[in-house]
Amino acid sequence: MNRLAGFACLLMLPASLLAGPAHQAKQPARGTVADGNPSTRSSAGDRIFAANCSRCHQAPMSLSRRITGTVVMHMRTRARLSREDERLLLKFLAP
Amino acid sequence: MRVSSLHELIPYAHALLVWTLACGRVFAQTAPTTENGAGYVPIISGGAGYVHNVTGGGPTLEPQVGPVLLAPFGRHVLLESRTDFTGFFQRENFTSGPFKGKVFTDVEYAQLDWLADTHATIVGGRYLLPFGLYNERLEPIWIRNLQDSPYTASVGTRTTGAGDGIMMRGVAAQTPAMSLQYSAYFSAHCSIDQLGAARSAGGDASVFFPGLRFEIGGSGQRFLEDRRISSGAAYASWQPLEGSMDVKAEFDGSYYGHGYWLEGAYKLDHASSYRAIQKVQFVGRMEQVFPQHGGGNGLPSIDNKRFDAGLNYYLKDNLRLVSSYGRNFNSQQNLNIWNAGITYRFTIPLWFGEER
Repeated sequence: MNRLAGFACLLMLPASLLAGPAHQAKQPARGTVADGNPSTRSSAGDRIFAANCSRCHQAPMSLSRRITGTVVMHMRTRARLSREDERLLLKFLAP
Repeated sequence: MRVSSLHELIPYAHALLVWTLACGRVFAQTAPTTENGAGYVPIISGGAGYVHNVTGGGPTLEPQVGPVLLAPFGRHVLLESRTDFTGFFQRENFTSGPFKGKVFTDVEYAQLDWLADTHATIVGGRYLLPFGLYNERLEPIWIRNLQDSPYTASVGTRTTGAGDGIMMRGVAAQTPAMSLQYSAYFSAHCSIDQLGAARSAGGDASVFFPGLRFEIGGSGQRFLEDRRISSGAAYASWQPLEGSMDVKAEFDGSYYGHGYWLEGAYKLDHASSYRAIQKVQFVGRMEQVFPQHGGGNGLPSIDNKRFDAGLNYYLKDNLRLVSSYGRNFNSQQNLNIWNAGITYRFTIPLWFGEER
């Protein structure tokens, strides 16, 4: 079991080395959808995105525009979103 | 067309895939844009991962991949399908000897969705049974906070977790403060390999309060084969602190027994200014199951109690390291359960549509 714990620690080590302090974070890429800052969560689409994604999983940090429509259709079915929610999400993700 | 083996379906599956890609190309070029620039190209998405499990001293190697095909036809029809390939390899003599096992293939769902309007999405084909929180939402390897399913995940999802038939789902009523959501289905009996399902009917309803990020709901199923039994579930889900915290609880009951699980997860998004710390997630779960009438049908035959503590690390939003320790208690044997591994969520467009 100690071997397994050591394996877990080994997995964690490169992860912590890869990550740096917050001020070194890259600027959000084009299509970035979740910056985690509540003060910037102003649009209805942003609020719908943040509230509904986290019901099941961590929100993706970016989404290519060319797949946004397909992904939102999928999530509308899975998360049982209304048509208005879908419209606001598309407006937020692919303005 | 009479099909005696699933293998005979493979050429048809290939033809369907080619047709899907061709349609995807057409839709990629002609997808309506209206007020936004969203694209509607087909996607292969899903999750992959590897988990090293040690239960009671016996190691198990569990590589998994679960590709999801999403192919839209216009803006109201979506073909979606997920097939899980799960390896399960154990040592020949439990703790010694070479690893032996096999890869299991399961068609989790293959369904056509017609997004008719806010109140109704009509689903036909093979779909995941909407029962409780786990089967439909938390089962994919890249979503679940702890890699082992709760004991009661089998309640209400017999026999395969999927139904073959028709389902209606959507939003029954919505205000800015709440949303009443529902699913209702009927599944026919099917004994085709990998597409098996039991004759059953059921549904799920929940109320979601987006301002509070709180949801409460219930599910029911009537199993219509052999012994006709009813199953029920009540659940709650809450994501306070801008989604950094995730609290879920569920109670399940059926003729074969009842039980509950309570799970909490906290990701240190806002707890530190250091990115390395923000990517850490702590998880805890406790559960109990109380079999009745001998248990079985996915439930153990004796009472069990289990505690799990997990530590996950998000290298990226779609790539994470997972680890957990669990302790299981029952009248016959107490066990330690260890898990360590990695999970990955991928999204691959099937057509290089224009970036609008």
